Amino acid sequence: MAAVSYRPYFSAGLKEWIFTTDHKKIGIMYGVTSLVFFLVAGLSALAIRMELYQPGLQYMGEDTYNQALTVHGVLMQFWWAVAIWSSFGNYLLPLMIGARDVAFPRLNALSYWFFFAASVLALITLLPGNHIRMMWTGYPPFSLNENAGPVAFYALIIHLLGASSLAGAINLVVTNLTMRAPGITLKKMNLFLHSFLAMNVIQILGVPALAGAVTMLLMDKYFHTAFFDPTRGGDPLLYQNLFWFYSHPVVYVMILPAFGLISEMIATFSRREIFGRTSMIIAIWGIAILGFMVWIHHMFTSGVPDWIRIIFSYTTVLIGVPTGIKIFNWIFTLYKGSVRFTTPMLYTLSAIFMFLIGGLTGIPLGLPAFDIAVHDSHFVVAHFHYVLGMALTLAAFGGFHYWYPKYTGRMYSEFWAKIALVLIMIGSNLFYFLQFVVGLEGMPRRYADYPAIESWIRLHELQTIGAMILGFGVFIALANLILSTKFGKKAEDNPWQSPSLEWLVPSPPPPHNFDKTPHMPEDWDPYNYEWLEKQHKKQ
Amino acid sequence: MKEVLAYPANYWQTMYEIWLFVAVLIYLVVFIPGAYFLVKYRYRKGINEKAQHVHESKALEVLWTIIPTIVVIYLATQSFAFYRVQRTAPEGAMEIKVTAFMWGWEFEYPNGKKVFSFFNSVVNPETNAYLKPEEVNDMFKAYIPAGTPIKVLLTSRDVIHSFYVHPAKVTEDAVPGRITHMWFQINQPGEYWVFCREYCGTQHSKMAAVLKVVPKDQFEKWLNEGMQTSNFSDKQNL
Repeated sequence: MAAVSYRPYFSAGLKEWIFTTDHKKIGIMYGVTSLVFFLVAGLSALAIRMELYQPGLQYMGEDTYNQALTVHGVLMQFWWAVAIWSSFGNYLLPLMIGARDVAFPRLNALSYWFFFAASVLALITLLPGNHIRMMWTGYPPFSLNENAGPVAFYALIIHLLGASSLAGAINLVVTNLTMRAPGITLKKMNLFLHSFLAMNVIQILGVPALAGAVTMLLMDKYFHTAFFDPTRGGDPLLYQNLFWFYSHPVVYVMILPAFGLISEMIATFSRREIFGRTSMIIAIWGIAILGFMVWIHHMFTSGVPDWIRIIFSYTTVLIGVPTGIKIFNWIFTLYKGSVRFTTPMLYTLSAIFMFLIGGLTGIPLGLPAFDIAVHDSHFVVAHFHYVLGMALTLAAFGGFHYWYPKYTGRMYSEFWAKIALVLIMIGSNLFYFLQFVVGLEGMPRRYADYPAIESWIRLHELQTIGAMILGFGVFIALANLILSTKFGKKAEDNPWQSPSLEWLVPSPPPPHNFDKTPHMPEDWDPYNYEWLEKQHKKQ
Repeated sequence: MKEVLAYPANYWQTMYEIWLFVAVLIYLVVFIPGAYFLVKYRYRKGINEKAQHVHESKALEVLWTIIPTIVVIYLATQSFAFYRVQRTAPEGAMEIKVTAFMWGWEFEYPNGKKVFSFFNSVVNPETNAYLKPEEVNDMFKAYIPAGTPIKVLLTSRDVIHSFYVHPAKVTEDAVPGRITHMWFQINQPGEYWVFCREYCGTQHSKMAAVLKVVPKDQFEKWLNEGMQTSNFSDKQNL
């Protein structure tokens, strides 16, 4: 497989980008949109941190703060933590299964353009007069109040994103199940593919609940129905149930693909198959199924009957078991491996480290006896920033570096990538670990201002410093990735020597991916690194 | 044994300590072998160039499925036991009704006495910065007898708020159209914060109130003060 010298994305014109149905271009469009919004959300987070540096309101009023927090939450959740996986999934899934494109390429383009439309709406809400200040959860009756801002935008954004997610999810599930090249059996599928399958199934089952909830919200607010308005016989807790029925499983939509990426990278750089591969697949589905049975833990203090809280506390902590299995298996994948400390491997190990802390601090949140004191405090915020904020972002950034040579045909700068990671790890741990502490001391979340309690001030100061270091690290990592597309060294087609199918095509892959459908032999496996060495010897 | 500042915070404290012990233990169980493998099985030219084949170990996998299952079920059951106490007010608790609104709190005592606390009563009107609890005007403080269990019946007049008693480490939402409940007991006289913990709009972060915990006799005196002369209701009409 000779190196090809053309550069399919850089030479494409605007028209080609807009009308493309190529999964790789759509994947890149998802990725770029996602990263742009990641930066907006990240900058709003830095603004929030600046405001919390000292008690009192120094830089912005309460309304601006509340808007910034809403923007940060919505964009990080939907544009970064969910949409970045649409990027990885679109780009890599067809390559990994030996397909020329997804099952429904036009639907795929439509799904991106729905997402784009939602992005435009999201940008419109940043204009004066359109500010939404109800946090990403949008609980009624508050969201029915004037104070919340134009909620219709939110409902329409969720509908567009939902349509995009559903179309994308169905597309990738069908592609995965029906278009695998001969020889790639369900058992031989990459763990990346298994986790994307589970993640997309969650999307298909969950999105309708959220879409229903925001539709009812929209009707309550503008058409005077009474689903959630208690003054007219509605029940505000109905919204919370519907909302979390989707929005809890959606955290697995965010983290399962990250698990998939971690599995790919840790196997490649330990040069061996994932330890306990079957139990990994069972764990993925265990998490996906249990994920639908735990949503009440978001409502432990909301007035639902106590016996329901107890039942859901058991189901919640049980999620720790399959998650634990995954962590143990990753650790034992290192056992008797030949571990290479490349940049993506370091990102992966950091992601596991952060996930471990995030997971262990998630368990007490499932225990009502503990949660009663920290519900809606900064402890919760720190917990989900360890798992979704850091573990997910580190896995995604690891993925950027890992597949960078495949995407671009060039190599990033190892030096700057490692500097960035060190800064990210120092900054984020300083920031989020102290956020646990201030949460344990009682600091409520979504507070623009706080009383001048001495220890809270110290903790907030250090957190803000940590956040700045973190932001600086992310900036270096992204600058490195962007500049290396031009200045990076030329990369080989398979720099990590992985037998996974996406590495067996040229970098960057040609528009049609494969000249002819690959037939994978009996002894091939995405993690059989010796098979690849044998192939090299044969040539 | 030193006196506990507030109930049921002691149950939270025990739950916290049990969890912290388990969490640190699990952390070490994962981290130490991980770090060891990273060093021992690192790639070294000529020494460790190739991985060896160990696909799985049934015994290990069964072990790290069953042990965590037992641990989390134990934690949930321990929490269940504590939670019953944290949620069930002791016999003879004094009932107060707390009604939340945008943005403040109304406290109603058994004899009908009411205290209102507003978002702007806990801040310095000039700088809009939080006052210390002692600096807040006594008129806006909810008096609480020390060492007496208090059962709170919660509701809201408009949107969802959440009543968080800082020293007692208990939170419960105030939901319009519903009555929710919680209890607490503060043993040491002093002034403590109550915060709103469910996002409720512009002044959410100032939706605090001060609980003034005083000895029982002083509380009784305060409770009956305004009621006899009925000055209290006049004051409210201002």
